[in-house]
Amino acid sequence: MVGKYDIEIYNNKVHYFLTVKRNITILQGDSASGKTELIRLIGEYEANGNSSGITIKCDKKCTVLTNVDWVLRLSSLSQSIIFIDETASFLKETKFAEMVRGSDNYFVIVSRDDLALLPYSVEEIYGLRDVSGLSKYNTYKKVYNEMYKLYNLSDVCNKVNPGLVITEDSNSGYEFYKQIYGGNCESAGGKSKVYDRIRNSNKESILAIVDGAAFGPDVGKLMRYLSATGKKCVLFAPESFEYLILKADIIDVPKAVLEETYNYADSNKFLSWEEFYTDFLVQNTQRTVFRYGKAKLNENYKAPKIIDKIKNIMPEQIISSRN
Amino acid sequence: MLKIYYGDLESNSYIFNPDIFFNNSYEDEWITDPISVQMIKDIDKSDVIGPKVIDSPFLGSIPVERLSGGVKTLILMNNDSEHIFNASACGDNCAKWILKIANKKDLTIRLGYLMDFGTDDFDIEILNLGKIVHNRRELAESVLDNHLI
Repeated sequence: MVGKYDIEIYNNKVHYFLTVKRNITILQGDSASGKTELIRLIGEYEANGNSSGITIKCDKKCTVLTNVDWVLRLSSLSQSIIFIDETASFLKETKFAEMVRGSDNYFVIVSRDDLALLPYSVEEIYGLRDVSGLSKYNTYKKVYNEMYKLYNLSDVCNKVNPGLVITEDSNSGYEFYKQIYGGNCESAGGKSKVYDRIRNSNKESILAIVDGAAFGPDVGKLMRYLSATGKKCVLFAPESFEYLILKADIIDVPKAVLEETYNYADSNKFLSWEEFYTDFLVQNTQRTVFRYGKAKLNENYKAPKIIDKIKNIMPEQIISSRN
Repeated sequence: MLKIYYGDLESNSYIFNPDIFFNNSYEDEWITDPISVQMIKDIDKSDVIGPKVIDSPFLGSIPVERLSGGVKTLILMNNDSEHIFNASACGDNCAKWILKIANKKDLTIRLGYLMDFGTDDFDIEILNLGKIVHNRRELAESVLDNHLI
């Protein structure tokens, strides 16, 4: 499934506005923010249609998957937006992760626990908030809920001169960042090891570069750790290293591929946008001097001009004049 | 004292889905208990009208079964000492209540995420490690160093 979908769900008391644009969207946040009520409305609409008194506006079918015969039901669903509450006991099962891979459905999952087997994006972790007080709604006696992003990692406020740069990537990405940050740059060797590297460092200032498109399961605990310890670590989470290359105007990339990736990254083929960008880059550089491979960085990406192009699209706060 | 088991728990007394468990096990007097009334007001912003009716500013008059999963879990923690409840059904806004309940009695819960217990010192035993931690830094480091979640 591809595309971006606005979903409006309401009865005479509550009104939800959501937008989903990737195969996996996670809903978290405080108790009583309306997550379970949202799923209840979808379930009641599904069972009773218009006679439920509930209205759902969406270009795709919205459905709820529960513990009951979930494998059978999921196998039968296609081109749907599937909502799953945290009460589903299968969310952490390998079988579920396998069925999400290659599925032509989108999933909206309520879960505070990390789902380590699913590579969801830091961009698609949301809370729900009551926006009834906003002027466009305050004439109605209803509760209006919309999604808000839990982690805004793109905003790096102050200049960072890191004593240590940790990259999630161990191959091409690491090789590239080493060109920028030199001896300060170390590979964590995988997203689950980024915490260990930060934890074991005694440097005063740390920059961690991770693939935002799949770092979702790890971002919550890392942010909690940084908040609890006050450790000075900036997390830079572009979609992926390959996304940076595509965005840097090194090869011709249609603008829409990057700005409307949801129309291209088919969930049938790609479990995350990280996989899509890598595939796109590999396919489109095959017979060029910029032939890309994830395992080893093509020397042409280490040319000063190319490095400058990529640096230009990174936040200036993490690019020191010395680099 | 609060005792937390982090990660996946297999035990006959473990309740993964406290929301449903509550619906089928709560007693009327649990709802009108003053601490329940306070928790329902704080978390759900709702008033207890009686043991069977809640007045929610969002949903109107609702039965007890429509309380949030978080507040249902808190009420269970306060009233049912036989089971270990999945506190991942509770958001951060429930943390202070979990600490309050655990001040009165030994409370064992299961968590799958790093709940924010606030900046004040506390005593929490991490059951997986048999270790008592006293602040959120110690808690985060102990849980993550040992890859409990």
